[in-house]
Amino acid sequence: MNEELDSQLSAMFDDELPPPECELLARRLSRDEPLKARWGRYAIVGAVIRAERGVRLNAPLAGRVNAVLLAEPALAAHTAPRDRTSARLRWWQPLAAGAVAAGVATVSILWLRAQSPAGDAPLAARVAQPQAAVGAARAGTAAQGDSYIVPVTKPVGVMVPSTELANYVVAHSMFSPPVARRNLLSSFMTSEPAAAGTDEPQSDVKTVAQ
Amino acid sequence: MSADASDLSLVRRVQRGDKGAFDALVLKYQHKLVKLVMRYVRNPAEAEDIAQEAFIKAYRALPQFRGDSAFYTWLYRIAINTAKNAVVSRDRSPVEYDLDRNNNDESYDMQGRMKDSETPEGLVLTDEIRSTVNAAIDALPEDLRTAIVLRELEGLSYEEIAAAMDCPVGTVRSRIFRAREAIDRRLREVFEGGLGRAEELG
Repeated sequence: MNEELDSQLSAMFDDELPPPECELLARRLSRDEPLKARWGRYAIVGAVIRAERGVRLNAPLAGRVNAVLLAEPALAAHTAPRDRTSARLRWWQPLAAGAVAAGVATVSILWLRAQSPAGDAPLAARVAQPQAAVGAARAGTAAQGDSYIVPVTKPVGVMVPSTELANYVVAHSMFSPPVARRNLLSSFMTSEPAAAGTDEPQSDVKTVAQ
Repeated sequence: MSADASDLSLVRRVQRGDKGAFDALVLKYQHKLVKLVMRYVRNPAEAEDIAQEAFIKAYRALPQFRGDSAFYTWLYRIAINTAKNAVVSRDRSPVEYDLDRNNNDESYDMQGRMKDSETPEGLVLTDEIRSTVNAAIDALPEDLRTAIVLRELEGLSYEEIAAAMDCPVGTVRSRIFRAREAIDRRLREVFEGGLGRAEELG
């Protein structure tokens, strides 16, 4: 073994090695088993000189500690820098996480409700929406004068022609209770006078105002 | 020279996840710690168990160690507290061991020896190590022997030894190293050649 290295090891054992050299030697010591064994024997020499009676000099204590620590996680994960700033910020992190989660949940609910074919709005209102859009488009184009804007209504999956639905309800009337059948048919007649008799959805409205 | 620099460099390595560096710290302080614990418990095997527990506690608490005090001072406190707790919990449990200790010191010592006798070759080896080291120290030249004894027995720094021996600090470092080398050469023969138990060191 290198004599200079052993000399450094002896000085390090006595805490008499300059810190930069300590750093380098500590790195080697943690990996080099023969060097570590020599380090252990230096400790034995000291124990004998101090006449440490009752101490078993060949005690496998280091091996036992090492065996226990093998099952332990390395400390690197626990020793992240802990400055005051991070300690101060740490308390609101759960709150922030909760707020983000709540925000995502709210957006998801709103989005799902917007996409849902069976929203909260009554059937009449839902069917009337495209009509209103057409009316607004017409009014807008009329107001703009020389405009060639052609508003396109998004296809709405829930647009069930009232006639078809009425026919369906009538055709299956024998399976529905009379009260429910009457309520449904009367609601068609009272709330959808404009849509009654229309067979096609008001999907594409092409208005050209000159 | 900053005091405790070598321990601190090992501690920093452990804190960065290097378990091998902690092994070096255990090797360095295990005998001191067992001797310390034996002020509280007289049974060497029990002292070793408590020292082991103290080392493991120290390892787990090492992320909180900032180096404000020397590592050994910090380890010393952990070991003392562990030993006190062990004594208290042992005193609470009415075991035959305590009765023996209170009523008959001789039987207590006998019990301690019986635990040690679980590894009879260990006792033989300890005696052989002790006699080998003592013989090697006796065989050292006067200047080397004085230097190593002042360091290990009196705990003097290299600078203090240099002042005491009226020589440069570098000479003290060299003398201590050469003394250790001479002793270690004899000691290796015991571990490797004699009983072949070098592996028990680590």
